[in-house]
Amino acid sequence: MNKKIHLIGNAHLDPIWLWRWQEGCGEVLQTFRSAVDRLNEYDELVFTCSSASYYRWVEEIDPELFDEIRKLVKRGRWVPVNGWWVQPDCNMPSGESFARQALYSQLYYYEKFGDICKIGYNVDSFGHSGMLPQLLTKGGMRCYVMMRPGMHENPEIPENLFWWDSPDGSRVLTYRIPESYGVSGKEDIDRKLPDYMQRAENTGHGMMMLFGVGNHGGGPTKGDIEYLMQLKEEGYAELEFSSPEEYFAQQCADKLDLPVWKDDLQHHASGCYSATSMMKQLNRKAEYWLQNAEKWNTVASKLSNLPKATEDFGKAWKEVCFNQFHDILCGCSIREAYDDVRDALGYSMKIAASEENKAMLKIAESINTWLDGVSDTVSCNARHHCRNLKFPRPIVVFNPNSFEVETSVRTYHPSKRVQDSDWNDVLFQNVRSSRSNDSHLDTVFMAKVPPLGYATYWLWHYDSEFTDWGKSESGVAADSFTMENEHLKVIFDEKTGGIKSLVTKENGAEFVGGEFCVPTVIDNSEPDTWAHNIFKFDKEIAKMELKSIELIEKGPLRAVVRVKHIYGGSYLTQDFILSSGGKTLRVKCRILWQEPLSILKMPVTVEGENPISTYEIPAGLIKRPCNGEEEPALTWGDITAGAAESRKGVSLITDSKYSYDCPGNTLKLTMLRNCIFADHYSDRPAADFSYTDEGLHRFEYAVYPHSGEAENSGVQQISALFNSRPVTVPAGYHKGGLPLKKSFIGINKPNIRLDAFKYCEDGSGDVVMRLCETEGKPVKAAIVCDLIDAGFYADFNRLEVKTFRINRDGYVKETDFLEGIVED
Amino acid sequence: MAQTYKLKSHLCRFCSFYPLGDERIPAQLMTYSNDKPDLEGFPYPLPSKKSEYTCSLKIGDVEWLGSTSGLTRYDKNAEREEDIIMFFSAPRDLHDNTVKAIMPQGESVWVLTGTGAVFIEMKPLGAQEKAELLLSETLKYVDRRGMVSQRDLARPRNLESRYSHGHSDNDGCFTAGFAIGEIFRYAVFKREKGAEHPETIEAKKVATRAVEACLLLLHIHSRGNGFVARTYLCPDEPVPDDGIFFRISGGKAVCLETTEAKKRGCVGVEVDASAEIPARLAKLYTDEGYSIDGIVYKADTSSDEITLHFLQMYFAHEFLGCDDPELDGIIKQSVKGLMGHIIDNGYELHDYGNKPTSWAKWSKDYFETDFGWVDACLNSAELLMYHLVTMKITGEEGRWRESYDYLVNDLGYADLCPKHFERLYQASISMNFDYVEDIMYGDHMLAVASFWGLCTLEKNEELLEKYRQGFRSWRTSLEREHNPGYDLPFALSCPDAEIDMERLAEWFYRMNVSRLAAGVSLTGRHDTPVKTLRTGIKEISVLLPPDERFISKYDRNPLSFVNEDSGGSVCVESCYVYTFAYWIGRYYGFFE
Repeated sequence: MNKKIHLIGNAHLDPIWLWRWQEGCGEVLQTFRSAVDRLNEYDELVFTCSSASYYRWVEEIDPELFDEIRKLVKRGRWVPVNGWWVQPDCNMPSGESFARQALYSQLYYYEKFGDICKIGYNVDSFGHSGMLPQLLTKGGMRCYVMMRPGMHENPEIPENLFWWDSPDGSRVLTYRIPESYGVSGKEDIDRKLPDYMQRAENTGHGMMMLFGVGNHGGGPTKGDIEYLMQLKEEGYAELEFSSPEEYFAQQCADKLDLPVWKDDLQHHASGCYSATSMMKQLNRKAEYWLQNAEKWNTVASKLSNLPKATEDFGKAWKEVCFNQFHDILCGCSIREAYDDVRDALGYSMKIAASEENKAMLKIAESINTWLDGVSDTVSCNARHHCRNLKFPRPIVVFNPNSFEVETSVRTYHPSKRVQDSDWNDVLFQNVRSSRSNDSHLDTVFMAKVPPLGYATYWLWHYDSEFTDWGKSESGVAADSFTMENEHLKVIFDEKTGGIKSLVTKENGAEFVGGEFCVPTVIDNSEPDTWAHNIFKFDKEIAKMELKSIELIEKGPLRAVVRVKHIYGGSYLTQDFILSSGGKTLRVKCRILWQEPLSILKMPVTVEGENPISTYEIPAGLIKRPCNGEEEPALTWGDITAGAAESRKGVSLITDSKYSYDCPGNTLKLTMLRNCIFADHYSDRPAADFSYTDEGLHRFEYAVYPHSGEAENSGVQQISALFNSRPVTVPAGYHKGGLPLKKSFIGINKPNIRLDAFKYCEDGSGDVVMRLCETEGKPVKAAIVCDLIDAGFYADFNRLEVKTFRINRDGYVKETDFLEGIVED
Repeated sequence: MAQTYKLKSHLCRFCSFYPLGDERIPAQLMTYSNDKPDLEGFPYPLPSKKSEYTCSLKIGDVEWLGSTSGLTRYDKNAEREEDIIMFFSAPRDLHDNTVKAIMPQGESVWVLTGTGAVFIEMKPLGAQEKAELLLSETLKYVDRRGMVSQRDLARPRNLESRYSHGHSDNDGCFTAGFAIGEIFRYAVFKREKGAEHPETIEAKKVATRAVEACLLLLHIHSRGNGFVARTYLCPDEPVPDDGIFFRISGGKAVCLETTEAKKRGCVGVEVDASAEIPARLAKLYTDEGYSIDGIVYKADTSSDEITLHFLQMYFAHEFLGCDDPELDGIIKQSVKGLMGHIIDNGYELHDYGNKPTSWAKWSKDYFETDFGWVDACLNSAELLMYHLVTMKITGEEGRWRESYDYLVNDLGYADLCPKHFERLYQASISMNFDYVEDIMYGDHMLAVASFWGLCTLEKNEELLEKYRQGFRSWRTSLEREHNPGYDLPFALSCPDAEIDMERLAEWFYRMNVSRLAAGVSLTGRHDTPVKTLRTGIKEISVLLPPDERFISKYDRNPLSFVNEDSGGSVCVESCYVYTFAYWIGRYYGFFE
């Protein structure tokens, strides 16, 4: 048995936290310089450091220092770990974000140092999603170092060394740091080293002790190094200056029987999934926008001479990856840092917007929208695209999702009639626009668009002179307190403004089993920004007071009931939108929040036995007990209850939120959390604090009632559509080689989702597709993409993410997040 | 258990081969002209690249598409998704992959390729019909004194050219699997048709012969100490140079000179061969005119054989023993001898000179070695299963129970059961391979046999849960195969398990109608992604239907990116892969 204590020299570097990124960058430079000096002074020392973005900073600013580091890496003295751009939050980035974290970082490490990182290393991140074993291994890492939650926060997770499995069968050997990633100073060493020795003795395997000054950088000090060398010489313990890679290699060479963990690693900072809503909203928006824009760039560049934008997307994604750093995405940095974040993610989204627009226009201009006679001489006014009264204007609707969607979309002009590409009338409605100019009206119409495809619709101008059009059937009816369509009937409570009845018409099932959409204010005066040592937000102060309920829109396509609540100096306006044929109730929220140290939650309650909550997590889903602890999630959370044969549930889907709790049968979406910026352990000297969530918030959520368990309900597609909505592009009249409606991909299984459709990073022109299984069911899927002459089958395990690389002849290789570049 | 699944008749491919110039080839085929297909917007993945398709033929709703890399059958109305597109490739279905013409003959087609013509008929076949068809092939062409593994042929695709002799290292293991399938066939017939029905009587005869062939391997060496031979050869059969062989003569057996024997220095070593062989078993060779003198048996037996022998003896006792006391007596005697041998030798199978064989070791000492440490979890399950089977067959506890309790309580063998993949995974990290590269696919059957036996026979709830946990730990690995031979015992052992019956049905429907080896063309398939694992091993990303991948026994990675059948291209394999799974499924009501 190898019971060595591996001394891991490191410096925990927060590039943003209680400082802005510029200072973080300087801190990285200083720490790297210092580490190189120490390595030159002490032959035995090994230095371990994560985060590709830091290396790139050093490479750009101090190439001489970078050269020195490269030499040290070659000699095994400096060990890069964690093949990700930063040490991100490990709950909120999407599965695709984790893929990009690995892609850009590992390729960087490979290019600069000749190898990728084999060890995942997120020593400070505040909890770790249950899908991480897969996301790590598919990024080239089979071992993992983490610390949070500590034993005091979750004693059920195995201590020290254990196997961590995700549902697809991936597995990482995981080391849980006992207490600190930065042991430093004689006293600290004297206090902690015996504990490590005891652990080694008890477990029969070696331990890693991470030492060196951290957070604001620093690294191993001369004092630390010399004291440890002295202890070693004195034979005080079996100490070895080492690296995580060496540590794991030594443990694997021994015969270990380690415990296995098949769940999340939670919780440490339960407040981090809701603090600083703006950060969360930007992250979600940037992730989806970039994913979709890159899909369209790939499609358009295959169809036309549009240049590939792989490099620009790389730049944009790197900003997203950087701002997923745990102290940034978790909303616990200083206020000023978020000004920088807004700029950085604005840059990413500008690239996304620009590339998406170019691609869509490029595709649109190839669509044959020509109408005979449209070029006849007309007045200047009529020639104007939006004012042509004799001809309908073509609007191309682009669907970035890999499944067909039927949903309402908006254009910024009123219409008299809307027809699809086969000239069938479709439901539409002129609705209030956001402007006060001209008509004040936009058109919302029902579009049906094929997977990763487009469909052209014809919108006739409001003033067009004809009457012979067939109106489509609508199932929408509403008054101030009731809305219904073909599938749902919703009744609002005139006292609380919540929903008192939600029935699915197909089976008459009632989904309201208690508190439902009544906004609730929670006291947040005790928790700090992270909510250290607090796992439940359940101190209810009040329900928001109902101010008004009114029917503000009713037409063939949709009805909208506006519910306004107030509390203190704050208000919440919710527009409940029910569309024809829709199975979800969409809610547009506008909140002006001015209540310090408070949380706003939105509950839904389902009656029945055996309640279970289910949440989307990166590249997967997870079931958690309904114990009221605050839980991280991506785009949806769900509560399902009832006897086995009559289970029913409600999903809450959001476009920007990440936090829920679920005490018993009530699922509560955390809509905002207004705490003090970077309030560490609530040490609050009297001051005029800035609050994370004060001010105006605009976001949307949706309520989706369903029968059966969440994973079988189709919520995955609904939430994908909610976050990846079709885009409308006004087109001109032109002849072209593309039909009015076209799909660029066919996937024959609803539980397989296309997350990436991009060019390979090596410039070969090969195309990369990333596909995910979303329901937790093994499946064999067929994928057809004529655009790249590809059609193939693939087996997917439960919640498995697979990456395929397709060459110019349409032959397919399965690779991983690194796109087969490293293995080649 | 889930609802009974109704297996229907299903179209199966029957290919008849004709060399160029054969007068049976219709003359029109040589000049037949087909249109080039228009595949723009084709909605399904195609096995060949679209640009490689050169000819097409439509018969009703079915379209045959010929390419320079094989033949595709497209039936857009096929009831099952996986049947919409079917791929036919050389050498199993075609002479070569360059399709030059496709000509109709009724619903069937003649296919002309560069080097010959093939007549392809698609005929509906029931799952049971297929089992019977395969069984008759095995009995006629593979069976060797009751042993069935595979039979080599002198000429490819020519069953009549089979050699009269031949052996397999794993005759015991494969024959035991075959025997289990036939035991369940008999049990189904007996239940459904009655014991006196001629088909039941015939089924009993086939099952009994297979069981006797297995039991003979426990006695053929005449050592009288519970040892088990891998296989045996009659005096006039050539002795292959691939292991340790002993020739019996005059109450002794002498180790023959082979490369392996020389390496181990055991050439000429003598062992006892004086024990009597039960006459009923000896009939298998005496009926063919041989006596024990001159018989050559293969030693150095591994745990694979032992494990399947125990499971086979259990089912033989359960289903045949009740009507055949003589056979049951031999089973009891055999199981006691073997179990006693293993216990007496410190949980090892001992060969000549009281030395353990290479791979039949279940001792704690072996588990401490580098190899044994990874083997320990599966081997502990095997050993525990042997004990439960022995107690069940003999109806005795005594030393068997004592030993079992010792293994469970003192050595912690039951706790080892679920740790196989942890240990394999650890080894894979330290040696930098993907753990799937080091899965021994034969271990899947050993795990299924062991845990099925354990979960069936263990009545202690706490231990039963440990064994179920052990079985579940294999689930991810077993699922790579979607093989009913594994999934059905798993579902029987872990009642809460969900199994994909549609996937299993596909396996039965698409299994080849013959076990005649040939190979397929996986290389160049346009619809099948390939991935390269860490050590360079290539796997495909999708499990193809059995009739589009190589033929193998329960011992090979079905995702391997290889074209050749596991037995090579000039052999015919046993049907047990199909019949084992089918008759278990029928007996336990998974299928109608």
